[in-house]
Amino acid sequence: MKRTTPTAFDFFPQEESQQTRVSRFFEELRAGRLSTTRCRKDGALLWPPRVACPRCHGEDLEWVELPLTGRLYAFSAVLVGAPLGMEQDLPITVGLADLEGAPLRLFGRIVGAGWERLSVGQRVRVEPFAVPDERVFYRFRVDGGLAENSSA
Amino acid sequence: MSTGRPVALVGGASTVWGVRAATWSELVQEAGARLFAAVPGLAAADVDSLFVGAAEPERFAFQSHVAPLAAELLGLAPHRIVQRTELACASGQSAIRSAYAAIAAGLSEVAVVLGVEKMNLPSMAEANTSMACVMDRPWDGAHGATAPPFFAMVAQRHMLEYGTTPEQLAGVSVKNHRFANSNPDAQFYEKKFSREKLLGLPLVAPPLRLGDCSSMTDGAAAVVLVAGEKARQYTDTPAWVRGSGQHASWHNLANSGSLTDWVGMRSAAREALGSAGITAQQLDFAELHDCFTISELIEYEMLGLCPRGQGGRYLEEGQTEIGGDVVVNPRGGLLGCGHPLGATGVAQAVEVYRQFTHSVPPARQVPDPEWALVHNLSGSANVHSMMVYQRGS
Repeated sequence: MKRTTPTAFDFFPQEESQQTRVSRFFEELRAGRLSTTRCRKDGALLWPPRVACPRCHGEDLEWVELPLTGRLYAFSAVLVGAPLGMEQDLPITVGLADLEGAPLRLFGRIVGAGWERLSVGQRVRVEPFAVPDERVFYRFRVDGGLAENSSA
Repeated sequence: MSTGRPVALVGGASTVWGVRAATWSELVQEAGARLFAAVPGLAAADVDSLFVGAAEPERFAFQSHVAPLAAELLGLAPHRIVQRTELACASGQSAIRSAYAAIAAGLSEVAVVLGVEKMNLPSMAEANTSMACVMDRPWDGAHGATAPPFFAMVAQRHMLEYGTTPEQLAGVSVKNHRFANSNPDAQFYEKKFSREKLLGLPLVAPPLRLGDCSSMTDGAAAVVLVAGEKARQYTDTPAWVRGSGQHASWHNLANSGSLTDWVGMRSAAREALGSAGITAQQLDFAELHDCFTISELIEYEMLGLCPRGQGGRYLEEGQTEIGGDVVVNPRGGLLGCGHPLGATGVAQAVEVYRQFTHSVPPARQVPDPEWALVHNLSGSANVHSMMVYQRGS
């Protein structure tokens, strides 16, 4: 069998409502929106999307939209040692970005500029990209970086 | 949490570590042969429990249910407790902690603890996939990240916040590789590394270079823990377990908080040192989890050996060398010995016993040690596990 999906992802798709209770995250992401769940009782913003609040243990959660821009808190790059299915992606630049206007420091892959051209505090934008097997995931694009196709 | 009856570590052994032409099961057998040779009073029939620290045998060796397999290979028939512990990079210490707890509670009298990992496979991408599973895999690992870029971000922040330099990072690696040069079990026993050579090695995850990172390693190690009243049957110099602490606070990287303030390590240190009734300054040596050079510098700070941000300076002052405040990683550390996930914590405990019994080469012998601390972090430094040992006489 030819493997088309990077194996650091689930071996089988788990993004649809038949498989997960947070399928809405992926539906929203396909539409270009970043979202997560928040506890209605204690207001805790939960990442990744949860189905129960780990603070109060209530199950009354609501979906909220998150900002799409953030500032890099830290970054690096995988120059050697990629997981299966990602070897051709090296170097894999990754970072933690503080979202602008939400108390969340999000981790993700960075595209649009190599690690040599990045700096702490730099602005990045969250964007969806297609994963084989009709999946979707998010990544950061360096603000002002050149547009690329979704295989970047 | 110093409760229950006294527990002693009475001996141990390690296999040779490295890129080994040996399978998971063969490493277990080697560790068993060396353990029974190192602890002559040990009879298989007296061993009532077996604890196996193994992080990812399902992926690395395609094998589950490993504790009974190890029992068979070691010739043991445990009739009290047989179990495997998994806590990623701290799986080995986790097994020791379980044995300690069982003996302290009166559920076991004589327990063997085995730590093992077989990490080098023909496909290193396969091994790297396993490492991505240690993180919150669908959300963090799926970005292609493993340990090096995470600890690289830690190093970047420490450099930014405190001015730590690549030369200071390399200094950790120089020290630990030098200690490893007197440890025949170490992966880099015969390799010499100067600061200049380390600073010229390729970047793995900037700012970390190859010499800043511990290796993918095959290896195993084993120790024996017994109820206090049985200790003298096995040794004149038991290593008494005096303190213990552990802390887990988050897992997904979004919930990590400050990358340079390891709250969990400060908490585990308070618990471990507090339960032993000593301060960090009273330690004669410490086996700290130097999975990356930056880790060891931050660990000095979190343990309270030096002020926050001063880890690099503390190293440069020679305070963690023999003759300094607290010798750190005389075994050679993860940097010099390699890091077979499940085996590391057990081999650190073997070093404690060897140091207490003055059975290591002079180049790494801590002068007359009485107190030792063993620390493992796991995952993204989100879990910290510690044990404190005192030499018996």
